[in-house]
Amino acid sequence: MLELLGNGIVDVMHWKYLLPLFAGTLAGVVGGALPGVTITMTIIVLLPFTYGLEPLAGLAAMTGVYVGGSAGGLITACLIGIPGTPSAIATTFDGFPMARKGQPGRAVWLGVWASFFGGLVGGLFLILVTGPLAQIALAFGPWEYFSLFILAMAMVAGLAEASLLKSLVATAIGLFITIVGTDPIGGVPRFTFGSEFLSGGFPFLPVLIGVFAFAQIMTDVEKIRQPGAQGEVLAKRPSLSVAHLKVIGEILGRPFLFLWSVIVGIVIGVLPAIGGSAASVLAYDQAKKFSRTPELFGTGHPEGIIASEASNNANVGGSLVTIMAFGIPGDAVTAVMLGAMTIHGIQSGPLFVSQNPALAYGIYAAYILAHPLMVMIIWASTFFVLRLTSVRLAVLAPIVLVLCVIGAYALNNTMDSVYVLLIFGVFGYVLVKAGFPLAPLILGLILGDQIELNLIRSIMTDSNPWLFVTRPISGGLLAAAVLSVALAVWQHLRHHKRSAGEEEADF
Amino acid sequence: MRLGRDGIAGLIGLAVSLLLLPQALSLPKLPIVPVGPGFYPIIVLVFMALTSTLLLVQDIRAQRQPAAAAADAAPALPRAYGLVAAAFAVITAYIMLLPLLGFRIATALFVAAFQLVLERPATVRQWAVLLAIAIGTSAVTYSLFNDYLFVLLPRGLWTNW
Repeated sequence: MLELLGNGIVDVMHWKYLLPLFAGTLAGVVGGALPGVTITMTIIVLLPFTYGLEPLAGLAAMTGVYVGGSAGGLITACLIGIPGTPSAIATTFDGFPMARKGQPGRAVWLGVWASFFGGLVGGLFLILVTGPLAQIALAFGPWEYFSLFILAMAMVAGLAEASLLKSLVATAIGLFITIVGTDPIGGVPRFTFGSEFLSGGFPFLPVLIGVFAFAQIMTDVEKIRQPGAQGEVLAKRPSLSVAHLKVIGEILGRPFLFLWSVIVGIVIGVLPAIGGSAASVLAYDQAKKFSRTPELFGTGHPEGIIASEASNNANVGGSLVTIMAFGIPGDAVTAVMLGAMTIHGIQSGPLFVSQNPALAYGIYAAYILAHPLMVMIIWASTFFVLRLTSVRLAVLAPIVLVLCVIGAYALNNTMDSVYVLLIFGVFGYVLVKAGFPLAPLILGLILGDQIELNLIRSIMTDSNPWLFVTRPISGGLLAAAVLSVALAVWQHLRHHKRSAGEEEADF
Repeated sequence: MRLGRDGIAGLIGLAVSLLLLPQALSLPKLPIVPVGPGFYPIIVLVFMALTSTLLLVQDIRAQRQPAAAAADAAPALPRAYGLVAAAFAVITAYIMLLPLLGFRIATALFVAAFQLVLERPATVRQWAVLLAIAIGTSAVTYSLFNDYLFVLLPRGLWTNW
């Protein structure tokens, strides 16, 4: 395995991969730092640039975005007090007070080095666990796959911030989108209403881009006239120079805090559909609970920054595990990566690592190399990035939308995909306004075909439907699915009703 | 009977699934496969109908109880829904005109129009910046994708450019 990883690193060091990785990491840092531009949005914008590249080059760029974005948010969080991405929200709590107290360099670099080490430990987990997990999944029959996908959807529906019922409706909509088109076994057209284009089904990426990008841009457009959200810019351009070894010592000198935050990040990453923002907030909360000085949290305490940033970068490693071992995306970012793999004809799932070892280890290598690149980029460009945050939505939004249109069009050089983009863009916005979560919809959309295929396969192998329950692994997975929905119902009843208002969607 | 946001959504979900169920049921059976192509769609549509119905019922029950929850909600900040509608209109026009005008012209027009919708420039300088961004975006993306990334972008049916 070490040899494969070594080869992967040597491969990725080639400029053909290193350049996209660098560009991706840079885009990630910038996108992560810009308030209102999320990591998902950055990866969507980057997507059309990867079509012409080799699969590994494209995936390296996307891995770079993911790593860079998870760290980039801390720049704005610490220096102007606005989280650049939702996953940097908890960094703001202590990062900004520390910067205001005259230690902006310490705040930023505590975050950067915590991201660096947290991400690397997450990477270690990714490399060690993905292969064995995929091995287990290889023993799965169609029953187990079916049940695994059901479990993933049940967990997403149960974990979503919105009501369970709405999450389930969103899941149903996602599944419904996948049944449009010819059926996977006999090639019979379903719900195509005679349309030639629809017989191929809705193309996945335009739907995804439309739903996420439009929903986010339009919710930003709504708020454009609202005052506030400008952030406080520190008086004058502060010096960020800091004794790096001392800062690193501050992080590694708190091994329990650091490792616990990393573990929280990884676990949240592995679970489908809850991402970096949940990881950082939860790790921050835990750090405060375990701390000997909880009263210092919120006043510029280093522990708060370390917890938040170590966990949100470790979260990336965890998310990559689920997608590489099972082909189940942990969040919207990995969903786009999955879509990009499909464009290049790579089948994701448990066979991925064993069938494409060069690619898999290339992704690991890109993930690891992205961390020193991220540190270098932030070191060199903090103030440049900070200046970019003054770019207004009126300028940013149309450029992002043009790139979305290119991303949809270039998939197969037809306007049809662009029409799909527009239709689902409007639809996604309406869903968000109606308070439906998007994550369950996307998961249903991604897993729908696989669920049907495995369902039909298992029935074709043996017509006994009880096998889903009596096969131990499959039965266990289904039981876990029922349990996670039951848990969500129980929690809902206990808290009675959470506010019926519009949830702040986390893209 | 009054319906809330959720009730309307539930009603739409229910209507769509009930409209499509007969279609799913009438899909042909295949000789070799024990279950036909309609089998899975029926499951999905029934699932959608069930969850939508539950959402509808939940909303009807919530509407009967007078708005206790709504009262303590904080007053919402004003949202510019008119701008959202205008933004969607501009995007729709862009996508419709794209195959007719070609990528370069349509994109420049779109970027200019979208900026105009969100912020009206006041000075000559601001107008110049707006136009520069519009033309720049169009030119840079076109040359980048067309010449370097081998992504062919649409030419205009009317303009042939």
